[in-house]
Amino acid sequence: MRFQNRSRRSFLASGSTLLGLPYLESLRGAPSVAAATAPRRMVYLAMGFGVTKQTWFPDKEQTGHDYDLPEGLAPLADYQDDITIIQNLQHKYSNEAHWGSTMWLTGANRYAVPGQSFHNTVSVDQVAAETLGADTRFTSVQLNGRKANGHGPGLSLAWNRQGKPVSGLDTPLALYHRLFSDDKTPLAQRQQMLLEERSVLDTVLEDAKSVQVGLTQTDKDKLDEYFQSIREIETRIGKEEEWLDVPKKMPKQKLKEPGAKLTGYEEIKMMYDLMVAAMEVDATRVFTYRLPTDTLIRSLGATISSHNMSHYTEGERRQVSEQRDQALAELLAHFIQKLKDSKQADGTSLYDASSITFGSNIQSIHHLNNCPTLLTGGGAGFRHGQHLVMKDPKTPLCNLWLSQLNGIGINAEKFGDSTGPIGELFS
Amino acid sequence: MRPRTVPKEIMRFISGIILFLAAVAGPSFAVAQTTAPPQAMMPDKHFDIFDTYCLDCHDSATADGGVDLESLSFDIDTIASAELWQKVLNVTNSGEMPPKRKDQMTTEEKTEFLADLSEQLMVARDILSDSGGVITMRRLNRREYENTIESLLGVRVDASTLPSDENPGGYDTAGSALFFSSDQFEQYRKLARKALDKAILYGDKPKVKTLRVEPETSINKHLNKQAENYKEMLARANAWRASDGQPPTEFGFIDAARVAFEEGQYDLQYPTMANYLDDPLSQTGVIITHNFRGMVSARIDAPPSPGGYFKVRARIGCIEAESLPEDRRYIEYGTRSASNNAEINVQGFQYINGTVKEPEIVEFRFQPQGSDDRSFIIREQHVNNLEAFKRLFIAHRRTHDTKLGPKPSLWVDWMEIEGPHYEQWPPQRHSALYVKRQEDDTHATYNRKVVETLARRAFRTKEPSPAYIDKLMQLYEAKVAAGTRPGTAVKDVLAIVLASPSFLYIQEPTHGKKKRELNPDELAVRLAYFLWSSPPDQTLLDVAADGDQLKQPEVIRQQTKRMLADPRADEFIHGFTHQWLHMERLDFFQFDYEKFPDYDTSIKESGRQEIYEMIKDGIIHGRPLRELVKSDHVMINNLLADYYGIDGVEGEDYRRVAVPAGLPRGGLLGTTAIMAMGSDGEKASAVERGVWILRSLLNDPPPPAPANVPQLSRLADQHVSERELVKLHQEEAQCAQCHQKIDPLGFGLQNFDAAGIWHDIEVHKLTGAAAKRAKKQGKPVVIKTAFDTSGTLPDGTAFADFYEMRDRIAEREDDFARGFTENLIEYALGRPFGFTDQKMADTVMKRAAKRDYAMDEFILAIAQSWRFKMK
Repeated sequence: MRFQNRSRRSFLASGSTLLGLPYLESLRGAPSVAAATAPRRMVYLAMGFGVTKQTWFPDKEQTGHDYDLPEGLAPLADYQDDITIIQNLQHKYSNEAHWGSTMWLTGANRYAVPGQSFHNTVSVDQVAAETLGADTRFTSVQLNGRKANGHGPGLSLAWNRQGKPVSGLDTPLALYHRLFSDDKTPLAQRQQMLLEERSVLDTVLEDAKSVQVGLTQTDKDKLDEYFQSIREIETRIGKEEEWLDVPKKMPKQKLKEPGAKLTGYEEIKMMYDLMVAAMEVDATRVFTYRLPTDTLIRSLGATISSHNMSHYTEGERRQVSEQRDQALAELLAHFIQKLKDSKQADGTSLYDASSITFGSNIQSIHHLNNCPTLLTGGGAGFRHGQHLVMKDPKTPLCNLWLSQLNGIGINAEKFGDSTGPIGELFS
Repeated sequence: MRPRTVPKEIMRFISGIILFLAAVAGPSFAVAQTTAPPQAMMPDKHFDIFDTYCLDCHDSATADGGVDLESLSFDIDTIASAELWQKVLNVTNSGEMPPKRKDQMTTEEKTEFLADLSEQLMVARDILSDSGGVITMRRLNRREYENTIESLLGVRVDASTLPSDENPGGYDTAGSALFFSSDQFEQYRKLARKALDKAILYGDKPKVKTLRVEPETSINKHLNKQAENYKEMLARANAWRASDGQPPTEFGFIDAARVAFEEGQYDLQYPTMANYLDDPLSQTGVIITHNFRGMVSARIDAPPSPGGYFKVRARIGCIEAESLPEDRRYIEYGTRSASNNAEINVQGFQYINGTVKEPEIVEFRFQPQGSDDRSFIIREQHVNNLEAFKRLFIAHRRTHDTKLGPKPSLWVDWMEIEGPHYEQWPPQRHSALYVKRQEDDTHATYNRKVVETLARRAFRTKEPSPAYIDKLMQLYEAKVAAGTRPGTAVKDVLAIVLASPSFLYIQEPTHGKKKRELNPDELAVRLAYFLWSSPPDQTLLDVAADGDQLKQPEVIRQQTKRMLADPRADEFIHGFTHQWLHMERLDFFQFDYEKFPDYDTSIKESGRQEIYEMIKDGIIHGRPLRELVKSDHVMINNLLADYYGIDGVEGEDYRRVAVPAGLPRGGLLGTTAIMAMGSDGEKASAVERGVWILRSLLNDPPPPAPANVPQLSRLADQHVSERELVKLHQEEAQCAQCHQKIDPLGFGLQNFDAAGIWHDIEVHKLTGAAAKRAKKQGKPVVIKTAFDTSGTLPDGTAFADFYEMRDRIAEREDDFARGFTENLIEYALGRPFGFTDQKMADTVMKRAAKRDYAMDEFILAIAQSWRFKMK
């Protein structure tokens, strides 16, 4: 048995960021010591359409550490001690049976605002990024698979403070260039360019101010999205200025530029590899990824659409659905291993410092309760190796998001419709 | 017991009666419906259900789980009560409530309860999301942005890199849904910069050059080389097989498996290549033919050019024309797809009259957009998918003696490209960029005029502020000072204009008033974006500038008619129709090409166009709306005529053709597009088709598919056919409430397969265990039965088959017209259709009814309405 000589007190003393987490009753078996000082990272991997119910969820009777890993997760067998599966989490406002991602990280009520037929709120990754992203070149990175069906409206998993969609990159190639390609332009010229960018923003704001005159309140609110967009660019320029003289780092193991035609299984694998590389050079600490669905099952040899797969009945459709579950589990295992292999200077691995969530707002077919949720990585201080079945079958998924925020050191009291952190994760 | 005597409930009862009356009275009394304030209300009869099954635990005193249903209002009038009712709906649907150990509702009670509740919740959502008449300021959507740039600069950009404007449950014209995301600003700048590079060209007009290729020279060289490679590979394989146990590596193969693989490749590829090269036609041109690798096609590349377009000519003939089936005389053309050599970006198709003896010369207009689409390809019309090529080729080998794949049908002698051509030179001369240069103009003064001119045109109704222009020019000066060429600097600055809010948003400031009438310029802009998805043209601007002209209803009517007849109205037809009829489903699925080898890109695109052409024809000629449901004519081209089995249609343009007796075409339900949308690319879906009819034709949209409905436990892990599923839908209350309306309509269309082809007989092939069982018992594995397409409309009206169903639906023209009206209003005003708009819809309907629901009258009435000219 793994027993680490640590008390709660010594742990809290080692890093002031984690003060104020009263539910951290015991850290016995928590995955990592040094993670208290190593930068924390958050990763959200969204499946879109749900899983094959019959073969993805462990038997609800077998809880705790001694449970049989179901067939759909079989490729994770070597990592059973590193993962946690939680059942009975859900968003109470979910009504859209084809939106696996739109409100997954927000828990919002689509109809919360009178006079509007669509409303969303900030996503948990963006809340985390406000803190975790302060010291990195990129505040957060959003990724999307192409043909990512089953995820619902949105430009990525991320939604900003105004509940507006945040866009993402949709190929490994684009991610590679964002992370590692350096601008060859001389420094002085780049400084000049950023200065010019600021004047550009100043110029369009001049026009925006004149547009504002005489608008109704609703129209002003609409125009505010434009202002917000300009403010975000200003923030980004500010950050670019800070990082201007710092060249982009390449990971120790040099990466080749990924091919432009990668799709499906290979595309996901490459995205995972690039995410690990990005963590190694600490380019960003927050990632979200809407996994591709159609291209994935096509790369596994299926000819049906992912929509057909998700509404599986006995036969080919269910077979494809199970194949997809297994392929995703296999890829996740690959990701975990890569993170574990990546050792930091202090001897801990990237795995120890990352909080990784794999799941969907859709359970399977049209079911929106018991959202499939798999956790791994030591970043939030969760003790892994368990199968947790929450007593309340309607436990807010936002309780998990809150636990993660708290676990990585953000002192939030509430997120979405949360009622409190999930203590069982820490014990 | 819940007290039943409080006055509030009596009130509820009374308004319930009003609502009920309105419902039975139907559309002819539609006015009565609008005089009562809109209400979402659970009928009182369900009090008993609450009493019997819920209040034991969920009365105010107990409020188990914090849920108090005793004080829950039966008027669903707040977001909070809608949330609680939604919860009630969800737990009843999921079977969670009432709890298993308690008394259960009867199936009948449950069905009615769920039907009422899901229906009333939809009404509640509509009321609660009603904009109250507010039209939110609108950002140009992607379509409008592309058109507006084109109208200003004379060049087209591809805005598909911008975030999609797809609006859950609404139109892409709804201001409140058109958001602005963080990196959109930069995307606008980039797109504008690209457009400006194409629009502003300096120097002399590039010389027109003509280039001819004899494609056989390059193709044959390539094929010869490949054929030699295969021959050589086979020789080595044979040598190894004869070598008596030497390692395969000695012969250049990794292992024995590799040898077998290469032999297989030889068998697959070599015979077609050799046969191709042996054909004398291959020595004088390209035989467009299907092989394992895809299609041998004819290709020509456009030389580099700054913008412009090219004329491509090709000399083409049919092979063995006398015996060639009609459907093999079509070529398809387009550009090379970046992702896959075997696939092309299909731009069009054409019927070939010429023969090998007497070829015809066909001319195409080819406009490359960038650097990666400069190869122009001609091939036989075919499924556009490499996998499909391979599978169809192998299937052909399996069923034919020859190993050569399908016989070729078309031959291209040569191809020629001529260009670049320009509509005018320099291109900016006739765009919003053109300013006449004065003798004393410097670069700076001249460019200031250019920037001012474009800003004024781009901002439509608003004068750019001097401070803004000054700032733009400061940027220009700084750039020039830093060494940028004036011509480049001015483009950079113009790109900023085209990313500024005055350009991107359609502004209608009210200056403190709650509502006001639009001024003529603003009205012109609104009208132009409604009918063209583009800015107003000079004619309309002139009318707007002429005092109060445009406020005259007669003038608006004239202008609307003029604009509907203009080709730019296609933008409205496509944009509106695509969203109204939910045509996005047409692109959801890859069709099973083995089952539907004829359903290729050209058929799919022609099918899509057919729908647009029907609507356009109806609007331009003022045909009655009901002809969209049932008509004795179709709007087709030669390709669709072949597909539908109609003779005597020649040429690629769409025209009105009488439906021959006995054909099930005429009206939306007989089109391949609508039928394909109601499928999953493999099988027809009765549910999808039924939902489509309810939503689009009968204006009776069913509630969204509920979440968490438990699967029937006895069915878990069983294979269920669609027909069985439909029966099962009727069995469970949660399903029956909607599916009893949906399924019979969908089944009325079962004669049409997934690709829209009509079958009299249903062929069902048993597979797996069922097939084995049948074989053992000596029963047939393929079962043929006549379709049973009888059923009822939601109100119980019976029909015996497709034709009767279509007749019965056509009789509901009031419902259809209501749906059409509401959708048009929503699209035109740019906000969800709400209860505030009922009166407007009544007026529009009345006006249109006077002209027998002529399709153009709906649009004219909206354009002339009071609301249309109000902010």
